Amino acid sequence: MTSQTFTFDGRTIAFNKGETLAAAILRAGGSTPLAYFCGIGSCQSCLVWCGERRVEACLTLATSGAIVSSANE
Amino acid sequence: MSDVIRNIDVLVVGAGPAGIAAVARLGRSNVSVLWIDQRNKPGGAIHRRPATPATSIALPNSVKAQWQRLEVLITNSPVTLTPQTTFVGLDSEGVAVLEDRISGASLQVAARVIIFAIGAVERVLPRPGWTLPNVWTAGGMQVMLKETGEAPKGRILVAGNGPLTVALGAQLAAAGNAPIAVVEAGNPTAKLQQGLRLLSNPRLLIEARYYLNTLSRHDVPWKRGTRIVSIERGEDRLHVRTTSARGDETFIVDHVALHDGIRPNSFGLFERKSAPLIIRAGDCREALGAVSAEVDGAQAAAEALAHLRGEKPSPTPARIEAERRAQLVLKELFRPAYTPTLENLPDDTVLCRCEGGTVGTFKAMLTRNPGISPREVKLNGRFGMGSCQGRFCADNVAALLGQAQGGDVTIEASQLTGIRWPIRPVQISSLIRDGNDADTTQPKTRTK
Repeated sequence: MTSQTFTFDGRTIAFNKGETLAAAILRAGGSTPLAYFCGIGSCQSCLVWCGERRVEACLTLATSGAIVSSANE
Repeated sequence: MSDVIRNIDVLVVGAGPAGIAAVARLGRSNVSVLWIDQRNKPGGAIHRRPATPATSIALPNSVKAQWQRLEVLITNSPVTLTPQTTFVGLDSEGVAVLEDRISGASLQVAARVIIFAIGAVERVLPRPGWTLPNVWTAGGMQVMLKETGEAPKGRILVAGNGPLTVALGAQLAAAGNAPIAVVEAGNPTAKLQQGLRLLSNPRLLIEARYYLNTLSRHDVPWKRGTRIVSIERGEDRLHVRTTSARGDETFIVDHVALHDGIRPNSFGLFERKSAPLIIRAGDCREALGAVSAEVDGAQAAAEALAHLRGEKPSPTPARIEAERRAQLVLKELFRPAYTPTLENLPDDTVLCRCEGGTVGTFKAMLTRNPGISPREVKLNGRFGMGSCQGRFCADNVAALLGQAQGGDVTIEASQLTGIRWPIRPVQISSLIRDGNDADTTQPKTRTK
């Protein structure tokens, strides 16, 4: 387990190298607006803003210092 | 957009078993190949690799053996994967538009052949509460388990129809968090004798026994002939009401994994009369599983090579036909007695999870216009108009429409969704971003 982190809606989330945003956010637990469903990028439920790009959390690798926020409708 | 890349013979989309087998075969010939996948590593869904090497989950030998074979193919192939790149569509001249999701730019590729190996999508039937938080697909829970080596915390219920629920239940148990039950709408053991006689596919039997033994060792009940009536949110847990011939039972859990089969991820995939030649391989052609996909991928590569040389393609391998027969037996074994209908689904049941369209909305449309066309159902009711492009609703809505308009007519999901690109969502900024920017990664191609 490394000590790399990103933030999700302001919350600090630790991740392992090579993990997706979704894996790290789900492991962090607690109440989260991340709506994970299919895990393969098909359902588009887990869309988040990662920096300026709108991406599937289940496909996007976590990077240190990334600023991630839940998708706004 | 960047200049068109023109020296590509074959574009292979997807790095699961079919894609890996295809590029391995192509790599032994003197053709230029561009190989892309939406993820950063090969494997697809069935062979989702752990993020850290230390974590791995319990798998039957046949599955591990396939990955070992595929890993050798990848290592020995001169073709390298261009990762985190998706196929968006073909323009009117047959030029493929791809999205590089790392740099956020698009690429144009004029390939002579395109092999799609983009796998399957799960079927999930509509049930009250299926769109609540902490309700995932079984496949979604499985890939997360494979990626992290960890099961979700808390109480888990796995439910639906088909062998994947048994596999997931066993894998969760082996990972230290056995589900409190696996709920199965079918009743495969009632027909097991019959099934066993027809099932001349020992690998499937061995895998089934491996998973069922694991469930049994962990005292996970396999509740057959049982279906979910509704999922409701309690104070901080999910209340899942089920029913069977034995009566009703409610499970109070933290996670629900749903699964009702798989179907090809063929949404938006098109046929063409002019170049490039389009070939589908693996589950996106026909959902027959990983072993068939490996054979299919090699076959697709052979077809591509034959086309490039102006030769006739070789016939479909007998192995595919054998797998097809085995899958049909499995499907028959697991066939559930229950089908969702407009009568047995409450009006507030969500049909379209992206746009929120409900059974009630759908029924109202039908009442106003009983002869409504599938396209009108989409355009007027927004069913299938959301970001998933109908992947998780079009089959269900088409089935309900077919029931309502005369049960002998089968309406295909594609009649509702239409067939056009983008075949998956793409950011407009990617389409207009110049791929020649300094920080755009160039795709890895193997040239002649």
